[in-house]
Amino acid sequence: MPDFFDADDIVKSYDGTIVRRIFSYVKPYRRLLAVATLTLALSTAGELVLPVLVQRTVDDALVVSWASVAADSLADPRLAGLDIPGDAPRAGGRAFVRESGLASLTQPDKRSLEADGILDPGPYYLCAKGSPGDLPEAVARDLGADGGPRLVDGWLIAPSAYARALSPGDAKSLRAADRLVVAGYGWALLAVLVVVLLSTFGQAWTTSLIGQNVMKDLRMDLFRRTSGQSLAFLSKQPVGRLVTRLTGDVETINEFFTSVVVSFIKDASVMAGALVVLLAMSPRLGLIAIATLPPVLAATGVSRRKARDAFRRQRTWLSKVNAFLAEHIAGIAVVKLFGRERASADEFAARDAELMRANLGEMYVFAVFRPLIEFFSSVSVAIVLWFGAGLHGKGLISLGALIAFVNLIRMFYSPLQDISEKYTILQSAMAGGERVFKLLDADERVPDEPRSSLSRPVKGRIEFDRVWFAYKGDDWVIRDLSFAVEPGETVAIVGYTGAGKSTVGSLLARLWDPQRGEIRLDGVPIRELPLSELRSSIRPVMQDVFLFSGTVAGNIDLGLGLGRPEVERAAKAVMAHGFIESLDGGYDAPLGEGAATLSSGQRQLLSFARVVAHDPAIVVLDEATSSVDTETERLLQGGLSALMRGRTTVAIAHRLSTIRHADRILVLADGRLVETGDHDSLIAEGGIYYNLYRLQYQGEATTAP
Amino acid sequence: MLKEFKTLVPYLRRYRWRYALGLLCLVAVDAAQLLLPQYLRRAVDSIAAGGPVRAIVMIGLSMALTAGAIASGRFLWRFFIHGASRRIETALRDRLFARLMTLPTSYFHGNSAGDIMARATNDMQAIRMATGMAFVAFVDGAFMSVAILAVMFVQNPGTTLLTIAPLPLITVLIVAFGRIVGKRFKRVQELYSEMSSVAQETLQGIRVVQSFVKEDEFARRFSVANDGYKKASMGLVKVNGLFFPLISFLAGLTTLVLVVAGGAAVIENRMTPGSLAAMLAYLEMLIWPMLGAGFTVNMIQRGAASLKRVNEVLDTEAEPRFAQGAAGAEARPEGGVSFRGLSLSYPGARAPALDGITIDLPAGKTLGVLGKVGSGKSSLCKTLARIVEPPRGAVLWGGVDVGSYPLEELRSAIGFVPQDSFLFSASIRENVLFSDPDLPEERFERAVAISALDRDKRLFSHGWDTVVGERGLTLSGGQKQRVAIARAVVRDPELLVLDDALSAVDTETEESIIEALIADRAGKTTIIVSNRVSTLRRADIVAVLDSGRLSQLGAPASLAAADGFYAEIAALQALSAEPVTGGEGR
Repeated sequence: MPDFFDADDIVKSYDGTIVRRIFSYVKPYRRLLAVATLTLALSTAGELVLPVLVQRTVDDALVVSWASVAADSLADPRLAGLDIPGDAPRAGGRAFVRESGLASLTQPDKRSLEADGILDPGPYYLCAKGSPGDLPEAVARDLGADGGPRLVDGWLIAPSAYARALSPGDAKSLRAADRLVVAGYGWALLAVLVVVLLSTFGQAWTTSLIGQNVMKDLRMDLFRRTSGQSLAFLSKQPVGRLVTRLTGDVETINEFFTSVVVSFIKDASVMAGALVVLLAMSPRLGLIAIATLPPVLAATGVSRRKARDAFRRQRTWLSKVNAFLAEHIAGIAVVKLFGRERASADEFAARDAELMRANLGEMYVFAVFRPLIEFFSSVSVAIVLWFGAGLHGKGLISLGALIAFVNLIRMFYSPLQDISEKYTILQSAMAGGERVFKLLDADERVPDEPRSSLSRPVKGRIEFDRVWFAYKGDDWVIRDLSFAVEPGETVAIVGYTGAGKSTVGSLLARLWDPQRGEIRLDGVPIRELPLSELRSSIRPVMQDVFLFSGTVAGNIDLGLGLGRPEVERAAKAVMAHGFIESLDGGYDAPLGEGAATLSSGQRQLLSFARVVAHDPAIVVLDEATSSVDTETERLLQGGLSALMRGRTTVAIAHRLSTIRHADRILVLADGRLVETGDHDSLIAEGGIYYNLYRLQYQGEATTAP
Repeated sequence: MLKEFKTLVPYLRRYRWRYALGLLCLVAVDAAQLLLPQYLRRAVDSIAAGGPVRAIVMIGLSMALTAGAIASGRFLWRFFIHGASRRIETALRDRLFARLMTLPTSYFHGNSAGDIMARATNDMQAIRMATGMAFVAFVDGAFMSVAILAVMFVQNPGTTLLTIAPLPLITVLIVAFGRIVGKRFKRVQELYSEMSSVAQETLQGIRVVQSFVKEDEFARRFSVANDGYKKASMGLVKVNGLFFPLISFLAGLTTLVLVVAGGAAVIENRMTPGSLAAMLAYLEMLIWPMLGAGFTVNMIQRGAASLKRVNEVLDTEAEPRFAQGAAGAEARPEGGVSFRGLSLSYPGARAPALDGITIDLPAGKTLGVLGKVGSGKSSLCKTLARIVEPPRGAVLWGGVDVGSYPLEELRSAIGFVPQDSFLFSASIRENVLFSDPDLPEERFERAVAISALDRDKRLFSHGWDTVVGERGLTLSGGQKQRVAIARAVVRDPELLVLDDALSAVDTETEESIIEALIADRAGKTTIIVSNRVSTLRRADIVAVLDSGRLSQLGAPASLAAADGFYAEIAALQALSAEPVTGGEGR
């Protein structure tokens, strides 16, 4: 379920620190990154080459316009800029060059060369033909006619206008060679298309793989980090929020990778590539195309700001509407009790209307910006055509190049259209990243600096030595508490609610550390023990049994890797075997979320088996059976004594039967130890225990059926 | 599927002009877009033929004008159609919410809050897409494909036929991909929620995990789920990552065919180079409508699924004004309250929540209720306000079945302080005046005085206007309960019900609240659920509940003298400075 309440801080601008930290997770995948970059470059290059190939096809094979220069004047300095290849066709003392090649000549030079008869701009159609017999009949007939073709030195030279007026059949046979050129470009196009297909897929695959791996690593780090934090910290964090950090927030970072980074690189390279090709094909027209850019840049800048504001407003209202909704679902009974159904619906509609206004506001930003960019792109094309026509008229640019320009300009503009949308993704990725790293940076672990170790086997002697503890500030829950529990002894801790009984158990397992005093296990201060060693020696049994989804056996062994016989032995020891066998599936019976299919007594028995399987030296029974009914208690009694056998047991706020048989009873009041002794001596004393016993436990004993 | 869309008909009708105008703009934009390649063709041909620059200028100007018209048209259809779909989304969400408010509380127990939220958010989004983008994609796709194909065919039938041969493959591809993607996407979602639940479970059971030193084991479990999710995601990428490149490839193939076939036509003088350029441009325009056709189908399907979930809420029966089987009459309840053999079972529960409760509370008297957790105290209170519907004839008020009163009359006659003292994130004043914001100031002042809330006023940064909850002030449990009491008392109700509403208030404050209440409610009926004998002592009658049954009933003095739970608790509390139950303990 998405987090409906964190929307307020979802808008954040670019943050270098967060980006650097995200990229530190990319490091292990350098090779993939190299492949991704390579394929990205390849696909981008391919996409840029495609329109160039189309242009070449048009120029080289479709619109063939040649000009000629006098072969004996090639040394003329005015022709210096003209590239005449050695294998250029020569006929009748003239060398032929592509009309588009004339673009390199300056206008005055061109004019004077024409006047001198050195340059004949044509345009002519030119193809290699040996004799009139090679020509279509109609062309052979027109040879030498005014405005018709000529056959010179094995070349057919025809004015372009003549060639264009030929019948399809004649043109086809005359221009067979050109068709071969077209076919050649066709194959080249196909090859490039295949390369683009493969490299685009490769790029999508590798970037996704990097993104997924980064997410996986980040999640793992976050999970380890979070599950290792102290309970003091975790109890303050709603579980739902922590899960959102692990799932949804990490996911936005993936978005950042697969959408923002990749498209940013790709868009930037496409745009840069398009510009470079534009400039290379015709510097003058390229510069004109660039000159159309400033209004686009201005529009982009404005829209980015507008989009950010609109997005912010939208998120704010969205979170307000969602909060209102969630609150009124949770408080539906109050709404009904106070007859506010209609009024709440009206209030909701008012907020919803604000949300709609914000949504429409965002829609208007995009609705204006996208068409505007399209418009600019069309205007740019028109301007280029206008200037291009002039340049073409002067022979400064080929027709194919002009067509390619149109395509390239469109290519340049298309990434700009959804730049605002991408900016929005970037913002939420930044916010998600910030929340994730904040949680990752939180260090609230219980300090684990082992300096000594327990000698094996653990005997299980516990000492509390003048222990003071407060959950916060000076609000002491445990005051100057001292007592010792000998190995194998059973000690019960009793007292009124809030007397600090449960805290004793938590301190023992170092879920918290006391502010003053020392707790020792087998004579070693527990602060000096490795946390894992301490906690494997002391196992708690809690009132509220938490079962994980999985099988019954899995909940007993909790990943210990015990064989089935050991699991069964543990279950048999606490008398859980019988009911487990009766379950559908026995030890392999699945336990659903919350394991609702088991009774509370059965759940408790499973938790006993869990403890026995882990075989600790000390067991802490934390109100483990305090609220079960009498029938269940009978069920648990046998298991409990098996659980306690041979172990040091601390029973907190337990039922009478357990307490009465304890070796010693400690009575706490206000965090202090006020009475101690066995059941009979405390009853004889007539103090707090006597009152507790008489009012609470005796009542329990007499009302039991 | 279509019947789900019936819900939308009135909305579509309401915005029919917007849709009509949007449609008009859309078609106009499409038509104008078709002009652009024509301008391009004329420009290229004119340039190729060495035509005058002036002609090019004219063409360029018309091109810019057309582009301007297209841009405005695009804005307008977004304005009309997206505007309509946003308005429909909002209206439908308002209706959903209003409906939710009228549903019986049992509906909210049967459906998780997250699921209800999803209907008002994600589902609304899908419906918006179906009424907006799907419409646009459909019109755009249909009109553009037909028009472009027509133009292309008129210009060059043979070449066009060859060129568009790969295009139907795109539509086929979308349908095929849609199916595979749908399946894999579902798998990804499943593994995503599996991963979430491993994390959730671990963090919920973190006490066990840490106590048994199982951090590594659970990290391993999470790692397995994490890997599974990654693999499923990559499985989706395998298909999704191929989709767009393949579409581009097919589009590229059409270009290739056009270049080769069209090239031949140009060589053979059957086509001008300008026509070829125009056809290249048309071809590019044809790809998106083809894609759009596929997406329309997806959006409509998703919209139908979401509408179904929304319709479920809209079609759920609202709370009846008069209870089923009750003789309804327009009357305001007054007088004494009696429970007559009231029994109640919640669906799925093994034992009845209430079992044959019979209590008579005369008008103007106070009933105290005592009992352990789960003994049925709250259920008893809730039947009075029909938050839980009692059987007919089992709960009477003024001798009339509560089901026979109009719901709003019944509830407005009761001041109810629920156990969880739920407050809204609004100011303290707004919370107290929740039932009626227009109540006079004296009523408000009296309510905060009775509930002993006034003594905390100085602690609130903005006095009574301090906002509580979420991002405002966090009230203590006792403060919350006192706001909830003020909220009920301010109505000056015929019947006041305090459902264990003082548990977090310290004894001394509780005393003063009870004192003030008794003075204020002289002559009015009150029910107080409490575990404190000091409070129960002030009642006229005390009922003791045990597992849904009435175990003791009588005047507090006589119960204190008799053996039983009441006497035990009384004795216990007399000895202890601290109460056994309640308090803000850990």
